Amino acid sequence: MALLEVNDLTVKFYTQEGVVTAVDDLSYRIERGEKFGVVGESGAGKSVTALSLMRLIESPGRIESGEILFKGEDLLEMSEEEIRDVRGNEIAMIFQDAQTALNPVYTVGEQIGEAVRHHLDYDEEEARERTIQLLDTVGIPEAESRYSDYPHEFSGGMQQRAVIAMALSCDPDLLLCDEPTTALDVTIEAQILEELESLADEFDTAIQLITHDLGVVAEVCDRVMVMYAGSPVEKAPVEELYYDPKHPYTVGLMSSIPRVGDRRERLQTIPGTMPDLVELPPGCSFHPRCPYAEDVCTKRDPPLLDPETGQDASGVDAERAAACLEYTGELQEGLDYEVTVGDGHETRADATAPNPEGDRR
Amino acid sequence: MRRIYESSALRRDDDEPFSPRERETEPQSMRSIDSTSLSRRLVPDRLCHWAISIDVSTPRSTYPAGVAIPFRVTMRNAMPFPITVTTRSPILWRWSVDGLVDAAEIPLHDPPAEPQGFRFDRGERKQFTKRWHQHFRVADDEWEAAEPGTHTIGAGLNVENSAEKGLYDETTITVEPDDT
Repeated sequence: MALLEVNDLTVKFYTQEGVVTAVDDLSYRIERGEKFGVVGESGAGKSVTALSLMRLIESPGRIESGEILFKGEDLLEMSEEEIRDVRGNEIAMIFQDAQTALNPVYTVGEQIGEAVRHHLDYDEEEARERTIQLLDTVGIPEAESRYSDYPHEFSGGMQQRAVIAMALSCDPDLLLCDEPTTALDVTIEAQILEELESLADEFDTAIQLITHDLGVVAEVCDRVMVMYAGSPVEKAPVEELYYDPKHPYTVGLMSSIPRVGDRRERLQTIPGTMPDLVELPPGCSFHPRCPYAEDVCTKRDPPLLDPETGQDASGVDAERAAACLEYTGELQEGLDYEVTVGDGHETRADATAPNPEGDRR
Repeated sequence: MRRIYESSALRRDDDEPFSPRERETEPQSMRSIDSTSLSRRLVPDRLCHWAISIDVSTPRSTYPAGVAIPFRVTMRNAMPFPITVTTRSPILWRWSVDGLVDAAEIPLHDPPAEPQGFRFDRGERKQFTKRWHQHFRVADDEWEAAEPGTHTIGAGLNVENSAEKGLYDETTITVEPDDT
């Protein structure tokens, strides 16, 4: 049995402008000890997915349908009390912005200790010891004296470590990391990723790592899901995703990674922006930005398909899947890109379509 | 400049030098009324519906085939006090093309049947801009291009008989056939 199994999850926000379908029919699973990456641009539904797992979606958002099986139990069926036992204890989350995740009027130690006292029934003294030990584990120097510091007395990197310590405090089985290193400089980022990896190995914790940094995914994850406009567009083991991307959006993401020594004058981007989730374009949501879009892409929205067989692969068990009409054989021109692997194990995907701005609407 | 220690916001004693002082009187600026529930209680439904007007407009009346058609929905509260219209579900208003909600032959959303209040401030004008891509959704994953000719774009609040209550408006556009 998988540690986490998400089946057909749909999350909608009812706003004045219309219904925002933030997550649309999403299925995936995470095994024990596995590191699962979720990538995509801002607004792709990554954070909403993670918040749904913790049942932290607030009004006007609603989890409309689907099930979230954690150790075989549906989190969506649980009472508020039951889910509070799971939250922070068995599933913990490292929030996106440590500075706002920490409460400014409590000391850092108190905030970490609270979770320990609540979930593990430690008394004051034991909780304090455990907290100091955790702060030490995540690399906060002089943890004992830092225990009674307030969040503003910590640097950005230390705040992030404190949030990580909080998430690890109850030895969770699943750790949801929502862009844990986005606000940090690269040296701290590397340290924190290393810490996360080693801590995950040590405690056999599964990690769902949400990021828009493909380099981080390559470094840390075993399997990856690429999301676009609330839906998964590609799922693959990490090596296959980099060496053999199957969806044009993944190719676009890869080719927009800047490289040192690149002779191109301008950085390559994916033209356009993510569509408004209230008003998705007809057909494949990515077609207005896709250099390979054809007329059929405006009329059919492909589900996740097995790139080899073209069979439906939208279920949780699919290892390799991409949502593109190329794999149903409906694209006439096909996908015209090539992936070149550089010397330093560097992957580069070049979109070589003759007219990337093509006649798309 | 007035300093915090000159104000009476903090209470100081030996144990708690920085505790906020309890207010004896509530300042005028903190007075507030829950206008949503007040409007629901005091303003009869009929007046609520009469107070709100809705208008749908497009920049042009004729469009070539295949071009996304922008349209603007403007809702206005004519009253000098807030109005709350009770809608049938959390979907507050809907747009349609030729009578098909969201230009789809299938229902796209299955909202819970929980009435919701659509709140308008006094004299508030709400404006929403949408685009119709000249496609009709015929199945969950399938769309069909609209035929050239005349189409009606409508928008209304999500209440029973919105047209009768004056909470629906529509406009007609013509899609010209592609010559090529």
